[in-house]
This record gives sequence, C-alpha cells and structure tokens, in this order.
Amino acid sequence: MLRLLANRLALSVPLLFVVSVLVFGLASLVPGDAARTILGEQATPEAVAYLRNQLGLDQPWYERYGSWLAGVLHGDFGTSILSGQDVWTTLNTRLGVTLSLVLTALVVSTVIGVALGLVSAVRGGVLGRVVDVLSLIGLALPNFWIAIVLVSLFAVQFRLFPATGYVPLTASPSEWISSLAMPVAALSLLGIAIIGKQTRDSVLDTLGAEYVRVLRANGVSERRIVFVHVLRNAAIPIVTAMGVVAVGMVGGSVFIESVFVLPGLGSLATQSTLDHDLPVILGLGVYFTMLVIVVNVLVDLAYGFLNPKVRAS
Amino acid sequence: MPTLHRSRLLTAAVASAMALTLAACTTSGSSSTSGGNTSELNLQFTGVPISLNPALAGAGGSTVYTALAYDSLIHLSNEGKLEPDLAESWKYVGAGNKVFELTLREGVKFASGKPLTAEAAVASMQYFLKAGGPLAPSVGAVDKVEATGPKTVRITYKTANPDAAGTMDQYHGIGVLIGPDGVANPQSLLTKSDGTGAYVYDNATSVAGSRYSYTKNPSYFNPKAQQFSKVSVRVIGDPQAVLSAVTTGQVDYATGSPATADAAEAAGLNIVKAPFFNWELVLGDTEGTISKPLADPRVRQAIGYAINRDALSKAFGANFTKPSTQQLIEGADGYDESIGYTFDLQKAKSLMAEAGYAQGFPLTVLTESILDRNTTYSQAVADALKAIGITVTLKVVSTTVPAFIGEATSKKYAASIWPSAGPNMFQNYSQVSGGLFNPFGHKDAQLDGIMQRASAADGSERTALYQQASQRFQELAWLIPLIATENVYYVSSKLEGISASVGNPNPMPVGPTPELAWRKA
Repeated sequence: MLRLLANRLALSVPLLFVVSVLVFGLASLVPGDAARTILGEQATPEAVAYLRNQLGLDQPWYERYGSWLAGVLHGDFGTSILSGQDVWTTLNTRLGVTLSLVLTALVVSTVIGVALGLVSAVRGGVLGRVVDVLSLIGLALPNFWIAIVLVSLFAVQFRLFPATGYVPLTASPSEWISSLAMPVAALSLLGIAIIGKQTRDSVLDTLGAEYVRVLRANGVSERRIVFVHVLRNAAIPIVTAMGVVAVGMVGGSVFIESVFVLPGLGSLATQSTLDHDLPVILGLGVYFTMLVIVVNVLVDLAYGFLNPKVRAS
Repeated sequence: MPTLHRSRLLTAAVASAMALTLAACTTSGSSSTSGGNTSELNLQFTGVPISLNPALAGAGGSTVYTALAYDSLIHLSNEGKLEPDLAESWKYVGAGNKVFELTLREGVKFASGKPLTAEAAVASMQYFLKAGGPLAPSVGAVDKVEATGPKTVRITYKTANPDAAGTMDQYHGIGVLIGPDGVANPQSLLTKSDGTGAYVYDNATSVAGSRYSYTKNPSYFNPKAQQFSKVSVRVIGDPQAVLSAVTTGQVDYATGSPATADAAEAAGLNIVKAPFFNWELVLGDTEGTISKPLADPRVRQAIGYAINRDALSKAFGANFTKPSTQQLIEGADGYDESIGYTFDLQKAKSLMAEAGYAQGFPLTVLTESILDRNTTYSQAVADALKAIGITVTLKVVSTTVPAFIGEATSKKYAASIWPSAGPNMFQNYSQVSGGLFNPFGHKDAQLDGIMQRASAADGSERTALYQQASQRFQELAWLIPLIATENVYYVSSKLEGISASVGNPNPMPVGPTPELAWRKA
C-alpha cells in the first residue's frame, strides 16, 4: 500500500510539470495578452510595447516559462499581472473557499446519498422507487438553476441565509456555515443523486450474494448483515463514485461560486483566463492538478482500508 | 472495530450536517443585515477593475475603483456639472481652445504624505500619457504638459480641444493625479493607492477579483466630504445575484438591468437611471469591400428608414429604452429634435430600388452577447431588415469585449452592432471616427470641417455646429441609430445624494464637498 502511494506521489511530479507546460502552451496560443487586456484594443503600438516591456511579456516564451519554473522550484509562484497580488497567497485564500464548499458538499452528498441508497435497496417497494425518481431529478436539474431557486426562496423570500458572499471560518464559524448552506445544498444535489444511485445498485448486488444467504441461514440479524457485511463489500464502487463526484464538484463550483459570489478558485480561473493573467493561470493549473492527485490518493487509501486484497498488493 | 469506526464517522457526518442546517437558521439575521451599517458603504460593480493604477484603469462605472482613492483636477457632479476639485479654477489661454490652464488647490497631500504641487501634477499627467491606457485616446491630442508656476499647470493641445475641462474629470484619467511615489513605481499602485482621494485602498482586507475595500484617508483635504468610515466594492456580475444582494441589504448600491428592474422596484429600492448607450448598426464597409451594396449611400439610408424604432423600444421595455433616431442621445450637446430617421418602409424600399437592390442582398452582421444579452437587439434588427430584402446572418461573439473589438476591427465584417456614448458631439465624434466604429477608415471632409470649426468655437455657436455634424452623420448613414438604453441603478433607501444624468450617467459616491458626495439618509 505504501509503495502504491509512493508511486502515485512520484508520478505526480512529472505530471505537474507536463500540466504546467500544457497550460503555458495553451494559454500562449490564445490571441492577445495581458498588456492588450489592460490597455484595450485602441492602444497605440508604443504603449503596448512599453507595457509589455514593463511586464516582461516581450521575453521569448522559453525564458518566461523558465523564469516561472525557477520561481516555483524556490516556492515563488509569482505575482498576478493584473492585481499585483502574490499568486500563492491568492490561491491559498481562494482554496479555503473552494475546499470549504466542495468538502462540505461531498460530506453532505455522501451522508444523504448513502443513507437514501441504503434505505432504497433494503426497503425497496415504493420507497425504492421514490429514491430512484429523486435521483433522476437530481441528475436532471442543473445546479445553477437550483442555486437561483434557493436564493429566491431562502435569501430573498424568507431571509434565512445571505444571498451572496463568503465569511471565513476563522472570522465567524456560525456565519461561515450560514454563508455556505445554500451553495452546499445546490452543489450537493447531483452528488446525492449519483452516490445514492450507486449505493442502491451496489447494495442490491451484494444483498443477492451467496454469503448473505448463508448469513441469514445462520440467524445473523438483518441489521448486522447490512451494516457489517453488505455495506463494507458494497463500499468500493461507492468510494469510486465519491471520487468522481469530488472532481466533478471542483468543476461545478465555478457556476456555484458565480451565483453566490464566492471568491473561490472557480471564479479566479474564469477571470484570469479572460485577462490572460498567465502567472495566475499557471498557478491554477498546478493547483487543480494537485487537488485531483490528492483526491485520487484518498480514493486509493479508502480502497486499501475497505479491501484487504488492495493492501496486500 | 471497523464497524465502530464507520458508525462514528457516520454519526459525526450526520451531526455536522444537522449543525450546518441549525446554525444557518440561527445566524441568518446577522448575515442578511451586513450591509445595514450606515457608516459603511457597500457598493456593487459588475466587473473587476482593469487596473487599480488610474493611468491604466477603465472607463464608465469602473471608475469607482479609482475615484474612491484618487481625486481629479475637476469633478463631474451627478448632474453633469464641472466642479472644482484639485484644481480651484481653470481657463483657456488665448483663443482657439488649444491652451488650457489650471490653478491647483492649496494644502492637498497624497496618501504618501507628499504635497500636491504643479510638478507632481505634471509628472502624473505625463506618466498617464506615456502609459497609454484605455482612457488615453479620450483626452485629446496633448502636445505638452508643463508647470507654469508652483500651483499652475498648462496643457497645450496639437489641435483645438473644446472639452479640455471635461477631460480633466474623474472619468478621463489624465486629471486623476497619482503621487510621486506611485509614478516612480506604478506596480505598487496595484496594492497601495497614492492619490489625494477621500479614501485609501486597503489591500489587507480586500480580496482581488471579489471585494475591494477602502478606508478613510486621514489627510484628505475636506474631511466633511468623507461620509463613510469604510467603503467596499463587491464584484457581482450575475444580474440575479445583484438583485438578491441589493434586495437583502448586502449592498447599498448596485448596477441594475431592465430585466430585474421591476423586481427591484417591487422590493422597495429606489431606481436611478440615465440615458447612456446609443445602440447603432455600424455600416463600416462604405467602400463596399466586403458587401458591395453598402457602398451606395441610398442602401445605407434605406436601412435607416427600415427600422421601426418605436416597436423596438416597446419590445425591450419602454421604461429603460427609447427610440434613437440620430447620432446623439436626447439631452446631449448637439442633439437636434428636428432631424433623425423615421420609420418609412416605403421610402426604404424606393431607395433600395433606386440603388438597384430591390430584391435585397445577404449581409453578415457581427454582434455580441456580452452587452446585448441573448443578442435580442441584433435579432430584432435582423428581422426588421427582412422587410427590404436584406437577409442578415448574425455572427455572435460571446467571450469578451476585447474579443469583439478585435473581430470588429479586423475588416472581415461589413457591419456590426455596438453602442456609442457621449454627452456631446465632440466626445461622440472622437469615439466613432476610429476603432470599431470605423474599421475601414472612411473619411468625410465636410464632417471633419464642421467638427474642426466646432472645436474652436464656444457656446451656442458650437452647439449649432454639433447639430450640423449630426445632420451630416444622417446623410452619410455610416452609423444607423437604433435605440437608446439607460443605465439603471438600484439604491438602498438608506442612501441619499444619488442621481444620474445625460452629462454623468455613471454616478460616483465621492465628491470634494459634502453636497457632492453620497451620504446616509
């Protein structure tokens, strides 16, 4: 298991390098640059040349990339061309918002999804069909639409939650929760649907296994069969689904952050791409890749915890 | 043991979820009233600042990011009047509107503590011109800027500039003075302001791209005009999110839109509005390079007569749009109610027939969905032109304004749709004589002559010449006016002193006197 993890982490280094090269290449291919963004299309060539020189954009691409890479190896991700802010500090500030949103949504999705899937599989009947229908609705409704409905109801109509904005956990835990309640709800619905459906299918498969019949024949209680034996064996596909949901939530957070005006990584990604703010775009590329690597490592760890065969291999 | 671990985990997760819901319900009051502290002003703006460096900053409403921390030589009030600010007085020197002189206010300091002197003002203005930011083309053809005394600054123009005072306001950049430290290190202005404004930028409590915070400037020259202890500008782009934020009191002032204005009014907000954009069909290909029929003025005029502007205005909300029949919006200096296009389909068809295009022709029109959300204006124009046989294909840019401008100036399109603006013909003419309004570089000696004479004239003589220019625009039919749209703002009832006008459709919260600044009700 440790070797697997070591391999994963070792592979992540070249992966991060390749991603940074790709991001740099793709961002450079987009017409225009930050100097044009700042000065506008009517700027004189002299003004553009002056600003490009000031910002170092007139250097050859390999020198700019090399300079960025050398900085990163020394822990310096550079500064944003447009805002002048330190990229690493900006990313860390914004990561707190996105992680708060995504992790909380993942926990909520898992708890509710597993609970609904389990009840549906074990009880079946009308309840099972209700869960199925709810899953379909969750899959069909776009999260930004749900977000708008939630704001109209719970912020504008009933004034239960703030309509927009984010309060850091360190500033006020209760306001942090309040500011995240609706974004988490909007982001969770799809996750609940996916995890709920996966749990139901997986548990139903496992309940039909030979060993469950043997356990029942030996008089083991249904509760013990479900929670001790079935759930554990059904867990691997559920954990896989959680990994997929987590990565999907990072992408989905872009829309949610826009509707709830949360200063997270998603809105930063959109803005910096439009602005041709290359240091921020590169930082984001590396950051998002690291997030995906961490999620995959956590999924691997969960596999090992749940399945002794994985640990042994 | 694993069972125990899992059940603990499950319990903890359920407890977290319940706590989240419970806490959300119990803390809602404090969050929903966060904008209610009247010593704080919470503003909304649609986009992030292009730059916090005034020499590179953007125009229009985005001026708020710099206006809070940087006073200008002359202040443009909400009513569109020019008021003394860092300059106590100003005048043209000699005749011909080519030399302009300002006398600076005494006792003003920059945020760095350094005093405002004529040398500092000149250095700031020269840096502005060298930086060549988005506002640089709008300040006239400056030949030189010099200090003619310890408190006097003189600007000499290469050609007459009848609106020199107007270009020294908070919206044009050159008169927005940066201190010597900021001029020496412009990059520092992104995190630390160096102006003479009522507030200073507070980088520590700001989140770039999301919230920009300002605190009182302790050395501001008129403390009575500092109406708030703190001002924040929140970046909220989505119109629905804007409405939610202002309705629930999270922001006190926001940029509205016709789509949400009724809901805002129903929620008890004050609606402030002023005419701003004059949407136009830009028929730039007047030599017929891409579309041969457009070389004939009769075809271009036919297009002007084929559009039912009253119907367009009604369709898009008569409260926030008006039919636009000429180059300037109503109320602007040079607007002439006796001229303009009328809707006359018969005349349009006759002109098309005279030009040899009775059967019409295909036309690709470049448009965008950034300002014209869902391209509703453009589609309406395309429908209207069917009546005279012109089959319009819309090419839509939906990414960014610079991307649209890039396409519009590429000479690949014979026509495009984009709004012009300007409180007088001088500013409007400066805008539309180049760039995306004139991608093929057409010129008209008669129009240029009128504008040259207007630039050196004053008062009613100038207005009359502006009106002649408007008439000439109609004859040339390079630009077909469509509808005029209004800037709409939502204002909390806790604020007063806010208005907008044709002369200033983008009101700012600060001013050099208490009467010119916004204040709590």
